[in-house]
Parts: sequence; structure tokens; C-alpha cells
Amino acid sequence: MTEQGAWRLALPLALAQAAFFLAPLLLLAATSFATDENLGSLSLAAWADVLGDAFHLQAVLNTLRLGAVTVLATLLLAVPLALLHLVAGPGLRRLILLAAILPLLTSVVVRTFAWIVILGREGVINSALLSTGAIAAPIPLLQTEHGLVLALTQIEMPLMLLPLIAALRRIDPALLDASSALGASLARTLRKVVLPMALPGLLAGCTLVFASASTAFISQSVIGGGRLAYLPMLVWQQAMVVFNWPLAAALALTLMGSVLTVAAALSMLGRRAAHA
Amino acid sequence: MARPLQNSAHMLDRTDTPAALAPAAPAGHRLDMDGIRVRYGQATAVDGVTLSVEPGEILALLGPSGCGKTTLLRTVAGFIRPEAGRVLVDGAPIGHLPPGKRGVGIVFQSYALFPHMSAAENVAYGLEARGRPKAEVIRRVEAALAAVRMEGFAARRPRALSGGQQQRVALARALAIEPAILLLDEPFAALDRALRLDLQLEIKRIQRRFGVTAVLVTHDQDEAMSMADRMAVMRGGRVEQVDAPATVYDSPATPFVAGFVGTSNRLHGRVEAREGADYRVRLDVGASVILASPRGFAVGERVLLCARPEHLALRDATAETPESWPARLRISLPLGPALVHDVEAGATELKLHEARHGQPPAPGPVRVALLPTARPALFPAGDDA
Amino acid sequence: MTTLSRRTLMGAALGTLGAAGLPFRAAQAAGSMTAAVYPGGWDEALRAVLAPALKQAHGVDVAFEPLFAVDQIAKARAARGVAPFDVFVLDPGPRVSGMDLKLFEPFDPARLSNRARLPAGYSDEVGAGVAAQVVGIAYNPKKVARPAGWRDLFKPEFAKHLGLTGFGTTFGTISLIEMAKSVGGSEADMEPLFTELRKILSLVPAVAQPAAMPGLFQQGQIDIMYTNTYTVTLLKSRGVDIEFAVPETGAAAFGTTMHIAKGSRNIDAAYQYIDTMISTPVQAALAAPPYSFVPVNTEVKPGADVPMKSIDDLRSFVTHDWTKINPQRPRWIDRFNREMAK
Ligand SMILES: Nc1ncnc2c1ncn2[C@@H]1O[C@H](COP(=O)(O)OP(=O)(O)O)[C@@H](O)[C@H]1O
Ligand SMILES: [Mg+2]
Repeated sequence: MTEQGAWRLALPLALAQAAFFLAPLLLLAATSFATDENLGSLSLAAWADVLGDAFHLQAVLNTLRLGAVTVLATLLLAVPLALLHLVAGPGLRRLILLAAILPLLTSVVVRTFAWIVILGREGVINSALLSTGAIAAPIPLLQTEHGLVLALTQIEMPLMLLPLIAALRRIDPALLDASSALGASLARTLRKVVLPMALPGLLAGCTLVFASASTAFISQSVIGGGRLAYLPMLVWQQAMVVFNWPLAAALALTLMGSVLTVAAALSMLGRRAAHA
Repeated sequence: MARPLQNSAHMLDRTDTPAALAPAAPAGHRLDMDGIRVRYGQATAVDGVTLSVEPGEILALLGPSGCGKTTLLRTVAGFIRPEAGRVLVDGAPIGHLPPGKRGVGIVFQSYALFPHMSAAENVAYGLEARGRPKAEVIRRVEAALAAVRMEGFAARRPRALSGGQQQRVALARALAIEPAILLLDEPFAALDRALRLDLQLEIKRIQRRFGVTAVLVTHDQDEAMSMADRMAVMRGGRVEQVDAPATVYDSPATPFVAGFVGTSNRLHGRVEAREGADYRVRLDVGASVILASPRGFAVGERVLLCARPEHLALRDATAETPESWPARLRISLPLGPALVHDVEAGATELKLHEARHGQPPAPGPVRVALLPTARPALFPAGDDA
Repeated sequence: MTTLSRRTLMGAALGTLGAAGLPFRAAQAAGSMTAAVYPGGWDEALRAVLAPALKQAHGVDVAFEPLFAVDQIAKARAARGVAPFDVFVLDPGPRVSGMDLKLFEPFDPARLSNRARLPAGYSDEVGAGVAAQVVGIAYNPKKVARPAGWRDLFKPEFAKHLGLTGFGTTFGTISLIEMAKSVGGSEADMEPLFTELRKILSLVPAVAQPAAMPGLFQQGQIDIMYTNTYTVTLLKSRGVDIEFAVPETGAAAFGTTMHIAKGSRNIDAAYQYIDTMISTPVQAALAAPPYSFVPVNTEVKPGADVPMKSIDDLRSFVTHDWTKINPQRPRWIDRFNREMAK
């Protein structure tokens, strides 16, 4: 296959992308600038309603913050787990991997309901704390951002842990030996060798978790509840209940735009680190 | 005693003075391995090895794959805690020290260069880990890269370097920390032959200049022969012989060593009689030869003769003598100034090595004789394990 | 109009062809159709009771598509004229939306053989009522006293057990309207509702999506919620401590209606489907446990869990004018979002 002919191979994929991804996206964009879903006439009302409204802007911030906090929480847990996986024997390794992919094997409904059972006023956590006398009255967990982040941390963990483990396993163990033989402490080895080499995996994990957590419609609405305003819920409501499609489109594009911006920033960070 | 082992003089600083180009005085450190045993589960990888490496010497650990060379090296480096035995540097045990405090520099088989760092950053790594001042780090990195003739490649990432260049950087990195002991694990295995010889000479030159004591792991006898002051031939976790390469070649301690180092023609026979200090041996191929041996044999004992290709010579098929035996020449191949004869005597295959004069002989019936000057090794037949 | 008549013509032509050229097709099942159905209890019940009855009576095979009312409207709307299924099942709010959006075929009640068994006004030119929902207050008798009415929900001792849900569903909307009325508001003035909600918001243990409410109740996160009798029956059958309280101002009721989708190719089967749904045996089976539907067939007696003796009682329940509610709902939904946000 010559260089000139190679593009032909990519053509079916490009056409499929155009038909199933680009076209709907363009339609969505057009809808956001219309007065109604029939694209009757041009209007900036929907965008004014998103960008000029404190409640909607707050929802954008909430959504981004939820993604960011979930990324931090999963990182905090996934990094030690991945390092443990790196040094563990085959038995422990399998256990860590199983625990990591378990959330992927359960349905959203089961997972979400399980978190109601855990976080509820009479749930597992509150019962345990009450029985040990650590608290006098149930603390609110369900329908709080803390509770939601806790649940999302478990739900999104595989997206962080799996790329991280893959990145760590690609590191030649001889590099760790070399570092230690050259007199580096464990902390220095982690900072100077392991972290930079695992960075692509780490950033991939961050991007995936961020994108997934900030758009986790079911978890956000069921565990987070109606007092926490996030974009996915508002999009659904405007599209499916209120039938204000221009507003739904503008909100959806805002959600997509902000998630993509963060993902792009993360990937740029990764590229910069790779060339530093 | 937890003093870090390091050469007191800043050797790298001397490299740019003319004096540094002269062979360094043997100012190196002595390394002792004393009764080292390492087990992985049930399997014993290193089985009671005692070895000494003299200051400034290169000792080669030579042996087939899986005989425990790497394991022994990693035990010296401190990555493996032996089940029994001690590692001593200058007489002081270092078993309690972590790898970074043992004063060992290691060149790994895969080089293990940090892929995200430039050559200079790789070389600086150990110095920075030791908290050396920045100016000193820069100076020494330059000196180390210059010593391996890589000063023009300081900014390159390992991926942008050839195998030989990566090797030099790995060596510079190991030497930059001024190790008392340099450990090299099959450092040439990933290089092609032509490059190998250059680098072998170069490493030897640098090692000499730095006066650093070195242990070189290899399964390549030529490499061990050309680089090592002494070689330890290992088999199944044990050392079979430690000697200068020529001694190992000329007087192998076991049939295994005879076979592993150099080519060996194995001839079985029986001691017929003692003749003074020598033995008359009746070979199964049908000859009677007189041999000297440092070992004692009883008359009637079965023995194994290991003759080097240059110990044997071709004779005319009609020239029957008691010390020669009938054989058939299969083919003769010219090898530079020599001829290699492929000969069969009954079921025994033999390789002969002779100076080449004129045309190679035609294949056919010949006789093979043991040269009177040859001193082939003689072992009890039971050693032929 | 040309397209329509051409399509009709072609359909007729194909029909003739089919009948004439391929006579064996007449012997086959009289047809097949697709019906939207609410996910969960309705889906289960209609598959178990209605589908076999329809097959037996008319030889029609029905495939169900589980969709909430709003999703049915959204889907039909997105399809832009191509019916995604043949029959809708809707609450009053979406029903009015569907009428506004012209998503239904004209409906002729005379084609229902069981029409006489429906109370007056239960069938019209857009569809027919097939069940009713009775909405009131559900509470856990082990944890809280029985609330007397909607007003009680604003009292701290009840509010701290209350689960709120917004205007996204029919039962949520009419409950909030009734709560507004209890504090001096009306369909035209919801301000008093929001004023009172603001006062109790810090006490309320959950503001949730409607679908999450039963789970929250079961887990003890909330002990009071406004809901319909189906949910109460369902949770009770799972051993949850739950009772239905008819508010002093009366429970609210609304009909669940079926409609034929615009552009349906299976109009005959669709009429047969709706007719079978309101037939006495099907209504009786659906009114019995475990389904406990509120029947609309005058020959069927409501089940024990339903706070009514006969269909006539439905008349005494509070009802709402959805043509007035629908235009205001987007505003209420938006307002509720903002009021609830922390
Ligand atoms: N980490 C390990 N776990 C178990 N067995 C090992 C391990 N490393 C090496 N071995 C075994 O120990 C023996 C010696 O290995 P090694 O020291 O690597 O040999 P060499 O370097 O001479 O090829 C081999 O039989 C090898 O299979
Ligand atoms: Mg090895």
C-alpha cells in the first residue's frame, strides 16, 4: 500500500465518524442557536440562558468540581493500590485487579442502590458509627457532595487504576534496581523514575475519571439528589421533561466543551512533561 | 560498619590530566564472596560460592545460562539477601547495607537507562541522589561522558542513541559515583559482534584507568578470555574453577570446564601402567599414549582424556604407530592461517587444528596422533557427568 | 396531503395484492403491533395479563417498549412523523403535550366493544382511559404519626422525614400543587409553596428523582413521601413498613390513557389492544394483587389497597386541569431546581 493510497483505508471510518458523530453534533449545535427544535429561526436565547445565568454557571462549576474532586479521590486511592500491585505476589495482584474491575461488572442500578444502602441515614456507615458511639445522630451522607464523591470514587476506580497499573507494569524493573543502586531512596525513585514514567497512564486515568464522573447522570441524580445541580441532570430535564431543546442543546454543548477543555489540558500537561 | 564505600580520590577529576592516561596504580578495593548460598523456593541458584576479587582486577563469572551468575552478582549488589554467606569489601562485611550504600556501580544487561532522561541526566542521577553540589555534578558528568567518549551526546535521550552508545552511557553512569566495585551483567549481550570487541577493549581500558575492581558476568568464553584477569567458571550454582584464562584453558579443572572453555575432544581409555611420573593410557579408539597428570590414577582405572584441537595431528593412513589411531577425514576447512579437520574415529568425532601448508588433504582414511608436546587434561572417567 | 393519499393508496394496493396473491397470509396471526409501556410494574403486568388476552381474543402479537410517559413523547417527537410504536400510555400532563404536538391519530370510541363499561368521559376523540392513579401521602407508621393532610408536610416533625421530588412527574406535580393549595396558593400562584419549602428545606433528608424515592423510603432515608397507591402496594409486598394516607382535602386522582400514535400502520390492532385492556377480565386481573391497578371498568371492584369502593368514588377525588398546568410546568421545574440547589 503506497502512502498516497493509505487514506483510502481510513475512509470508511472517516465516513462513519462523519455520519454518526459529526452530523448529530452539528445538528446539536444548530439546535442550540434556534428558537425551537424544528430550527425555526435563529436565536441566542438558549446561550444567554446558560452563560448569563448564575444558576446555570453554578451548575457548570459544580460539574467541573465534581469531576476534579473525584479525580483527586481516585488518585489518592489508586496510586498506593497500583504500587502495591507492582510489588505484590500473584495472589494479591489478582485480588487487587478483581476489586478494581468489580464495579465494571455490576450494573449501574445495582451499584447505585448499593450506595443508597451504604450511605443512607440508616445505612451501613451511619449504623456502624452510631453503634461505636462515634456520632450521636446520623450524619448526612446521601445527597451530599461528599457521599457522591465517595460513591463515584468506587465506581470510577477502574478507569484510574487500570491505566495506572498498565503504565507501571511497562516500567522495566531493572530501572528501579538501577535507581536504588545509584543511591536513590525509595521516595526519590518514585518521584524521579516511577512517576514520570507512569505519567501518561496517570493522565489517561485522570482524563477518563474526569469525563466519566462529571457526566455520571445516574449516580449524580440518585446519590447526589435534587439539591446538587449538575449539568447532565439539567440537560435531561430540558430535553425530556420540559422539551426546551435549544436550552438542552446549549447545556449539553457546555458540558461537552468543559469536559473536553479539561481533557485537552491534561493531555497537554502530559506532552509537556514528556518533553521536559 | 556503615561507612559508604567510595574511592577517596576523585578519579574522574583526574581523567583530563595526562597522568590519568597512564595505567592507574592498583588503588582499588578487594571484594570477597564467602560461602554464598541463594535459594528460590526449593531450587538452589547459588550453592556455596567463595570467591575473591583482587583490587583493580576484572573477574569474569563464566557459565551457561541459568548457572547462577546473575544471582551471585545481584547478591553482591545487595538486591538479594543470601540464605548463607557474606559479602565483604576490603575485609568488611556489607550484607547489612542497601545497594545504594555498597559503593557498587552496576551496568545492567538491558543498560536500564532512564528513558525519560537525557544521557547527562542519567549520568547525573547517582550524584544528585548523593546530594553532591550542582557544580560538582556538572563537572563530573562531563568528565564521565568524556571518559566514554560520549561528550557530544549529553542532551540525547537513550532512545536516540545506538546500542553501543547506550552502553557507554550506562558505563559512565555506573562510574560517575566512583564505585569501589563495578558489576557488569552480560554488558555486551545485546551488541553485534563487531561493536563488541571495540567496547570490550574500551571497558577494559577505562577499568584499568579507574583502577576499579570489576566483576563481569558472561556466558561468552571469548569475552571472558579477552577481558578478565581471572575467570570463575560456574555450573549449577557452584564454581568449578577460578584461574587466569590461560590456566583455565590449558589446565581445566573438570571435564565440564574443558568442554565449556575452548573446544575439547573427549577420548575414553584405561590406565595401562605408570611410567615414572607419567601414565600409559590405552585409548578406546585404539592407541596407547603416555601422559603427564597432576592427578593420581590407579593402574586399570578408566579415564577421560580431553584434548584440545591443537593437541592432535593428522598422519598418513599408512604410518601406523602405537600412539596414533585410525580414523577417517570427513572434511578440512581453512580458517585463516589454520586448517580445521573434521575427523571420525569409530563413533568418536574429533576436531583437529593445524597450521596450513599447501593444499588441504583429501577426505579419506587417515591416522590421528597425539602430539608429543601436548599436555591434554586427564580426568577419572566418573567426572564425566 | 398528496403524500398521505399516495401512502394510503399504496397501502390499499399492497393489501389487495396480499389478500389476492397470497391467500395463506389471511390464516396467519391477524397482526402484530408495538405498544409503549411504563417500565417496571406496568411492563410486568401488561406482559402477563394483557398480551395473552389480546392474542387469544384477536390473534394479535404485541411487543412492548418500556418508556416513561415523557420519554414516549420525546421519542415520538424526535421521530418527526414516523411512529416509533403504535400505542402510547400516558398521564394527563404528557397527554396534553401529545395533543398539542399532534402526536395522536384521531380516536373513535365507537370502535371499542367495551366502551359501555367505561364511565362517562373516559373515552374521547384522542384516546381512552385504561387505569387511574390515586395520589396521596405515604408514611412509615413505625417512625412517624399519620399525617392528616398536605399541610402537615410543612411541620418540622414531618418535614425532617420527608422526601421531596419535583415537577418532573405527574404525581409529583399534582402533589406539589396540592401542597401549594394547603398553604394558600393555587395552580395560578405557586409562590406560597416555595416560601414554605424554603423554611423546611434544611430539615428535609432527601430531594430526589422520582425513581429514587421508593429506594430511599425502603432504606429509611425518608419516612414520608407523596406517591401513588401502586408504589405503596409494591413496597408493602416487599415487607416495607408503609401506609397510604388520604389527605383531609382528598386524595388526588388522574387517569392513565392510551392513544394511537400518529402514522401507525396497525390501527386495527391498536384498537383491539386498547379494547382488550379495558375488558372486564383484564381489568379484574390487573386490579388484583400483585398488580393492584385502579380499574376504570365499572364492572370491576377496586382492590383492598385502593382507597375507594367503586369507580364512582373517582369522581370525589381532586383532579386537575392539565391544559392550565402544562404551560407553567417548565417554569415550575426550573424554579424548583433553583430553590432546592444548595
Ligand atoms: N526470581 C527468581 N525466582 C525463581 N528462580 C529464579 C529467579 N531468578 C533466577 N532463578 C533461577 O535461578 C537460577 C539461576 O539464575 P540466574 O542467576 O539468572 O542465572 P544466569 O544469570 O547464570 O543465567 C536459574 O535456574 C533461574 O531459573
Ligand atoms: Mg543472567
